[in-house]
Amino acid sequence: MSIMELNGGSVIAMVGKDCVAIASDLRLGNQALGISANFQKIFPVTDRIYLGLPGLATDVTTLRERFRFRVNMYTIKEEREIEPETFARLVSSTLYEHRFGPYFIEPVMAGLSKTPSGGYKPFIAAADLIGCLNFAKDFVVAGTASSKLYGVAEGLWEPDLEPEDLFETISQTLLNAVDRDAYSGWGCVVHVITKDKVVTRTLKGRMD
Amino acid sequence: MPDMVSLAQPQQRQFNPYADNGGTILAIAGADFTVIAGDTRQSEGYSIQTRYAPKVFRLTDRAVLAVNGFAADGNMFVKKVRQRLEWYRHAHAKDMPLRAIARLIQTMLYARRFFPFYVYNILGGIEEDGSGAVYSFDPVGSYEREACRAAGAAQSLVQPFLDNQIYFKNQVPAPGMAHPVHLPLSTVLSLVIDSFTSATERHIEVGDGLEMYVVLAKGSTAIQSLSTVRGIQEMTVTEDGERVFVIRRELKKD
Amino acid sequence: MNTFADRFSTTTAASQLRHAQKLAEEEEFDATMWGSSAGFGSLTKGVPTFTVPAVPDPTAFLRLHTDDHADPSCRIKIKHGTTTLAFRFQGGVIVAVDSRATAGSYIASGTVKKVIEINPYLLGTMAGGAADCQFWETYLGMHCRLHELRNRERISVSAASKYLSNLVYSYKGMGLSMGTMICGWDKTGPAVFYVDSDGTRLKGDLFAVGSGSTFAYGVLDQGYRWDLTDEEAQELGRRSIYAAGHRDAFSGNTCNLYHVKEAGWTFLGNYDISQMHYEGPGDVPGAPGGGYGYDIRVEGRNSSDPPEEAAAA
Repeated sequence: MSIMELNGGSVIAMVGKDCVAIASDLRLGNQALGISANFQKIFPVTDRIYLGLPGLATDVTTLRERFRFRVNMYTIKEEREIEPETFARLVSSTLYEHRFGPYFIEPVMAGLSKTPSGGYKPFIAAADLIGCLNFAKDFVVAGTASSKLYGVAEGLWEPDLEPEDLFETISQTLLNAVDRDAYSGWGCVVHVITKDKVVTRTLKGRMD
Repeated sequence: MPDMVSLAQPQQRQFNPYADNGGTILAIAGADFTVIAGDTRQSEGYSIQTRYAPKVFRLTDRAVLAVNGFAADGNMFVKKVRQRLEWYRHAHAKDMPLRAIARLIQTMLYARRFFPFYVYNILGGIEEDGSGAVYSFDPVGSYEREACRAAGAAQSLVQPFLDNQIYFKNQVPAPGMAHPVHLPLSTVLSLVIDSFTSATERHIEVGDGLEMYVVLAKGSTAIQSLSTVRGIQEMTVTEDGERVFVIRRELKKD
Repeated sequence: MNTFADRFSTTTAASQLRHAQKLAEEEEFDATMWGSSAGFGSLTKGVPTFTVPAVPDPTAFLRLHTDDHADPSCRIKIKHGTTTLAFRFQGGVIVAVDSRATAGSYIASGTVKKVIEINPYLLGTMAGGAADCQFWETYLGMHCRLHELRNRERISVSAASKYLSNLVYSYKGMGLSMGTMICGWDKTGPAVFYVDSDGTRLKGDLFAVGSGSTFAYGVLDQGYRWDLTDEEAQELGRRSIYAAGHRDAFSGNTCNLYHVKEAGWTFLGNYDISQMHYEGPGDVPGAPGGGYGYDIRVEGRNSSDPPEEAAAA
């Protein structure tokens, strides 16, 4: 029995044209038994950063609170909002603090970072359970359906997708990937982050 | 005689006649054609043994077999299937029908139930009624007729993509419209190439080359879309029946 | 296991295999294989013969390479996970199964036929090793036909199931894995027998087999009566498979429903489990109308979305 597969769940993030999207399934299980179809794994960090935490459910809750605390401390000390790049380093160092007894979570981050000219640049990153960062230019995946997500995303994703097309791409990728994974599914949630708003949609997925 | 202290520890050895040679195979059935494809890389662990080891084999003019898993078992299995098909030709003066080949493969695999061939088979071709068909097998012989199937190292990458693009899973047709039941050959060929380029990007055991076998039913109109295909090669032996072609493409070699 | 004793014993399964192997080696290509019986594989001699590895303990060899419970990284993955059920009632036998096959967490197929049509009067279900069930139940079908030809009457469900049970018992300890229900209608009326690879054979009214069986039993036990109408019974079978498909990660995709009556079995349909959750099985006899899903059934009548009178109070 693998701890990473105990509760199930998967997260994916994708880059679009001046936007990013992050999505996850909603299943929480105890091995084969489905417990909840409303278990959120993606949390807002700031107005423009979202964090996905697939893995062991107890660590999802713990890490969410831990990151909330650390981001609040940063905001108070620096008197400004944290940038996605900085937040990724914070995630990495927090996980590496537990190098020899890790949290069983593989975080996925998506956000828009400020450019010197005052614009916004898409940012996504993923880390393994001890904090090795992966800054990808296209998409990142994690969770029990990761291999399936890689395959579909590699086939469907293309550069410079507009927010609506990015939503369609990430939704189709996630829905079809989790339908081939026994431990993910039971509905999905998608967040599309643009410079002036975040659109959150809940998807009707297969319930088996 | 001095006391002898034995330093020998009991050692356990295990007979391991299996290896995993990576690679991926794929088959898609159309209305009156079937495409059976496989990459040509053969690897063991992180090493590439060869960049060209075929995994897809023509059995008859209406049947093509793709084998994946342990290459030695796979090659031997294809050899044995071909031998049985030749015996059938001698006895009956005709080629064995596809559904019969499928059952033959089941009994041949199950005969090794206690010493399995480590091989995942996909049989593609044309049924006696002229329809395209794909049969997929597990190593000990359970089988099922399907419209599309990926097997091997990158099956989990390719299959969900095919569910979406072939079966239109999770897609809703526009009002008053319906999803097509069978796709045209040109679309199927593009999807096969896309599937393998994707798998090559994300899986280390997939790459080097791609071989796509196309089996056409007697009088199939899909022949027209093949005339423009670059480097296509005909493998047909008999006349006035089903026709077999092979299309080869390069894949990334890193 | 005492491998030394086992090696020289003449009565264990392993030694019998060695004997069978020796027989097979002696006449691997006999005359009949070249003639018209070519194409019948290992069945030319009437009994199947098997190749076994040349090791002292072939069973341990097989377990080493195929047992994914003990070693999830083993190479040859035999597909697992299932929900199958069958029950007997006044109007015959209902057989309902899911269609999912999993290898680890990967859903290898969502279109598996887990009901094996042995002949027009007998059905077998598939749980455990897919190949074991497919092969031996097809083989059982051959022997049921031979029984008909020899005795000028159809084989009873009891006899057919006992034939299968004795057959798999002779391979006990060698790694066969099957949990099946043999269902049919004979002179005694509707009959269901549970047969598994341990050698268990049970006659009964109601069985569910597989990883999702507990969920299926939950619905089945609650709704089961002998005097169910045909429509009620069919709905109960569908609803039970839905419950298992919903909760069990290793069951799902679709439900195949069969009804065995005096004139033989009929296939009633293939129902998508996710569609049953949201919209119900469609316009079929016995369906209550509307989705089976909890959140669909209680829409507007739950704590987060209460009825108007309750919300006002």
